Amino acid sequence: MNEVCFKNLTKDQCYSLKTYEASGGYSVWRKILKGQLTPEHIIDELKVSGLRGRGGAGFPTGLKWSFMPRHSDGQKYVVCNSDEGEPGTCKDRDILRFNPHAVIEGMAIGGFVMNASVGYNYIRGEFMAPFYRFEDALKEAYEAGLLGQNINNSSVNFDLYTHLGAGAYICGEETALLESIEGKKGQPRFKPPFPANVGLFGKSTTINNTESFASVPEIINRGGQWFADVGVENSGGCKLFSVSGHVKNPANFEVPMGTPFKDLLKMAGGMRDGAQLKAVIPGGSSTPVLTAEVAMSMTMDYDGIEKAGSMLGAGSVIIMDESTCMVAVLTRLAHFYYDESCGQCTPCREGTGWLYRVLKRIIDGNGKQGDIDLLLGVQDKIMGNTICALGDAAAMPVESFLRNFRKEFEYYIKHGKSMVKG
Amino acid sequence: MADIEMEIDGKVVSAKVGEMLIKVTDREGVSVPRFCYHKKLSVAASCRMCLVDVEGAPKPQPACSTPVAQGMKVHTQNDKAKASQKAVMEFLLINHPLDCPICDQGGECELQDVAVEYGSDVSHFSEGKRIVSDSDIGALIQTDMTRCIHCTRCVRFGLEIAGMMEMGGTGRGEHLKIEPFLREGIQSELSGNMIDVCPVGALTSKPFRYELRSWQMNSIPSIARHDLVGSNLFVQTYKGKVKRIASADNDWINETWISDRDRFSYEGLTHKNRLLKPQIKVQGQWKQVSWKVALDYAVKGLNSHVLKHKKANQLGGLVSSTATMEELYLLKKILTEVGCDNIDHRLNIKNLDNIITLDSNIKLDALEKIDYALIVGANIRLEQPMINHRLRKATKKGADIDVLNVMEFDFNYPLNAENITAPNKIASTLAGVLKSIMTNNVQELPNYLATIEVDEVANNIAVKLLNSSSSVIILGEHIINNEDASAIANLATIIAQSTNSKTLNLSITANTIAANLVGFVPQNSGMDVNTMLASEMRGFILLDIYPQHDFHHLETVVKAFTPDDTFVISLNSFKDDIITGYSDVILPIASVYETSGTQFNVNNDMQSYTAAVKAPDEVKPAWKILKVMADLLELPGFHYADSTQVLAEISHQPHTKHTHDGHINFTNKHNGIGVIWQNSPYSIDAVLRHSSTLQKTKIGQMNSACMNQASAEILGLSNNDKYLGVPVVITDTVADDCVFINTNHAINIQEQA
Repeated sequence: MNEVCFKNLTKDQCYSLKTYEASGGYSVWRKILKGQLTPEHIIDELKVSGLRGRGGAGFPTGLKWSFMPRHSDGQKYVVCNSDEGEPGTCKDRDILRFNPHAVIEGMAIGGFVMNASVGYNYIRGEFMAPFYRFEDALKEAYEAGLLGQNINNSSVNFDLYTHLGAGAYICGEETALLESIEGKKGQPRFKPPFPANVGLFGKSTTINNTESFASVPEIINRGGQWFADVGVENSGGCKLFSVSGHVKNPANFEVPMGTPFKDLLKMAGGMRDGAQLKAVIPGGSSTPVLTAEVAMSMTMDYDGIEKAGSMLGAGSVIIMDESTCMVAVLTRLAHFYYDESCGQCTPCREGTGWLYRVLKRIIDGNGKQGDIDLLLGVQDKIMGNTICALGDAAAMPVESFLRNFRKEFEYYIKHGKSMVKG
Repeated sequence: MADIEMEIDGKVVSAKVGEMLIKVTDREGVSVPRFCYHKKLSVAASCRMCLVDVEGAPKPQPACSTPVAQGMKVHTQNDKAKASQKAVMEFLLINHPLDCPICDQGGECELQDVAVEYGSDVSHFSEGKRIVSDSDIGALIQTDMTRCIHCTRCVRFGLEIAGMMEMGGTGRGEHLKIEPFLREGIQSELSGNMIDVCPVGALTSKPFRYELRSWQMNSIPSIARHDLVGSNLFVQTYKGKVKRIASADNDWINETWISDRDRFSYEGLTHKNRLLKPQIKVQGQWKQVSWKVALDYAVKGLNSHVLKHKKANQLGGLVSSTATMEELYLLKKILTEVGCDNIDHRLNIKNLDNIITLDSNIKLDALEKIDYALIVGANIRLEQPMINHRLRKATKKGADIDVLNVMEFDFNYPLNAENITAPNKIASTLAGVLKSIMTNNVQELPNYLATIEVDEVANNIAVKLLNSSSSVIILGEHIINNEDASAIANLATIIAQSTNSKTLNLSITANTIAANLVGFVPQNSGMDVNTMLASEMRGFILLDIYPQHDFHHLETVVKAFTPDDTFVISLNSFKDDIITGYSDVILPIASVYETSGTQFNVNNDMQSYTAAVKAPDEVKPAWKILKVMADLLELPGFHYADSTQVLAEISHQPHTKHTHDGHINFTNKHNGIGVIWQNSPYSIDAVLRHSSTLQKTKIGQMNSACMNQASAEILGLSNNDKYLGVPVVITDTVADDCVFINTNHAINIQEQA
């Protein structure tokens, strides 16, 4: 446990350059500066490692980096997505707080591999403490001569800037994030063209999640095979899981991929007040909810969770006990998406409000017969029809809540009150 | 781009690699519904109405933003595509008020049309609908933003075409609201196009509000007559009245846009000042009479004052450049037949020995492909909005534009260099440009360049012209009365020849090119306009002339027209006290859209139009009046059944081709303050001056005499004083020794300098 992003977690001043360097930090970067590593080697190691994007989509990082037209003319950028807004997720916040130099080194390596001399770390607007911590680390790195122009006479250039968001969930969508850095309203772009071709300021850009970048130095240090072996097939390495909800010890845990869910639950101290587990959202609010029975036999890796009927997402595990009213949970989630939709495209702008209003009516005791079919119909009309994934994210929970806990919704509509709370 | 083959609904079609799917379906006549897509705007892909099924893609793809590829198989009508399209339609309608019965867009609404095919009879939505508050965005556009479907066409129009982002989306999610950022409302000179691009009733024409349904009107194709472009448009009429103007497509001329000036000028046609009946002045008293009486009186007057005495050399014919080519030709023909050579259309030029002769040898659509332009003496954005639009497109592709103006103007694109020069320095600057170019080309310098100093401005322009592969030199109307007008034009011609540049003459207005083509200038040894005004004349025939606006010196004009023994026949559309003061007969003539005719634009594109409406009351088209007058004068060869026969006759005439001598003579030693007098953009002709809504806009209200502090001191003026009757504005954006007047007011005879 805690072998990559959190490996210095228990050390004194784990976030300092000194601590980071003492545990082998910046050794990859220094090798690059000395000309001892090639981009091809790094991409190969990443491909072997099986590292997949930790932001939620799970796209293989090595493959993504190889897509960048590194030899093409013009400025290129690497961007780190630290706009961690998915309900249930708080891992990137802790990486920025406790291991900011791993992010810096990871981004610098990315910059070298993709021939991008400028990087931006886009940090969620509410993350003031992580923002300051990261800024301090950046200052340390500059002062230590690890960043800048012609670093250590290596002819390698890499400048890194921090950009603080303003609190919009949608800016976690990579193209909305780019718009936001450009000073525009955070709205996703349609694709194609993809950021690798037309990205930040119209230039080739690669965007990775904070955890992905923070994992890179250790992977190159210890070898892609080592990382792959930590995890299971198709899910290399270890992963941070943010366990929240009705557990004794809600926290972030960096565990090998493939760890059984029940072990993760144990690490989090088990259920609070000895209550029974009722439901689990395994990957953040946008992923389908699972029943306790399914969850308890699931392993925490891409394939394991998919087999159970959900997605690993950002590794945000929300635990709900038997006292939870699923109608209330879904209403709260629906309100979140209703509030956070950017409004650009029709299905999401209109559909998220519709979903929320129907659920709100049910919660207020004014549910009507046919509302469940209506909700399923509306979510189906949003699904797959939007510019970005927010529409799907709003739709998926509705479908899974209704599929797994339909009786609770029927009860609420019929009786005007919760089946659980009475 | 290479051709590929793909399949749409089972039919094999060819397309270009990377082309957007919607272009292919449109070309093939396959109907794909859309709202945010507009062929002249960037792709937004946000309405999601054009979702289609592309084989191999897990999700439906928007046709507007899906590039086609070899072997692609697309289904626009299968269950998957239809389901997505219907889903989006349902979402669009849940918050739309569906107030079609009271919506001005009803009947011409894209949402309505698409809803017929893709909408459902019954809505599943039973919640309350969204209501959006409106803000007043100006006199031209009516908003009802509750109807807005957030397609952002108006936002993109502002950003991409008008060049000013006046509308934008504020708020997010359901609270996304399309609104102007500024309290002043919409200011763009092209703003009316937002009405055309809005697919629903959110943005509609304010002057047209609640007037009529689109299906009640006839739509007649016609030509805009206020500038050098001749934008194509539709005149929408009802019971013989023009009710609205909408743009028509013509990629070579106006693409799909028209200026606000062209869109809203029609309001002037129904102004209470319209002249509706012929009238004659008998012993100082005006009498409304029948056409027969009026024309008899006119012909009798001409005979008794002029022809009887064989004094056709003391008769003058003057026209405004707003006349149609047929009118110009017929008036010239009448005067020639009676032996009069005194004809002219160049009313506002002070010195007709010093005129601009410059070819326009670049096509409008080629303007957007230039890489460098030099604009001399033009506020081009307001004077020629659609030409400015082409230049703006060129700058977006990387073209550099320099200006040489007497004052800073508001451009809607970045300029390479905005050179502000005193009117009397423009010629020497251009001479400097030429000298620099000739020196560079190692050419022998002509004498007139010997003493010219090449300053940095001239040198920079020369370098740009030399290094450009497709450049244009544009001359604007601020030069017409410049002391060096002719030299400036000739320098422009030579510079263009030395650098392989094109030239564009924007110093003229409206139908000047037609006037030149039919040769409405002094014939043989006839008098020009200024000579006529200074001579003792026995008679005038004046076509569509308003001396308070058309001449640079009103007093002289009135003096020339007023004497008792000068018989003046005025053909006008609007009442005017000055005109009634000097005229003996006033014949009411048809105005724009009320007559058939022919217009030439700056590219020499000849465009003919029919009358969209019949002229009101007893008003007649001028060409008919002139024809009858000729008959009454018993002149031969005026047997025309309609104006097309006039046109046919003109096309068999040898056209006057003006030549320029290329002689360059300037002194560079003019002293004193140069005054540039210009009618403001919405006051350049009589119809515009009577268009009440245009006059309410910021552009319509332009009325200032701008000068810098130094000039103000010389003239002893301060802010808010009046100069030539126009309020003084002291600003350091004006060059030394210059007053730039832009006014929506008539020249006041008392206050004239």
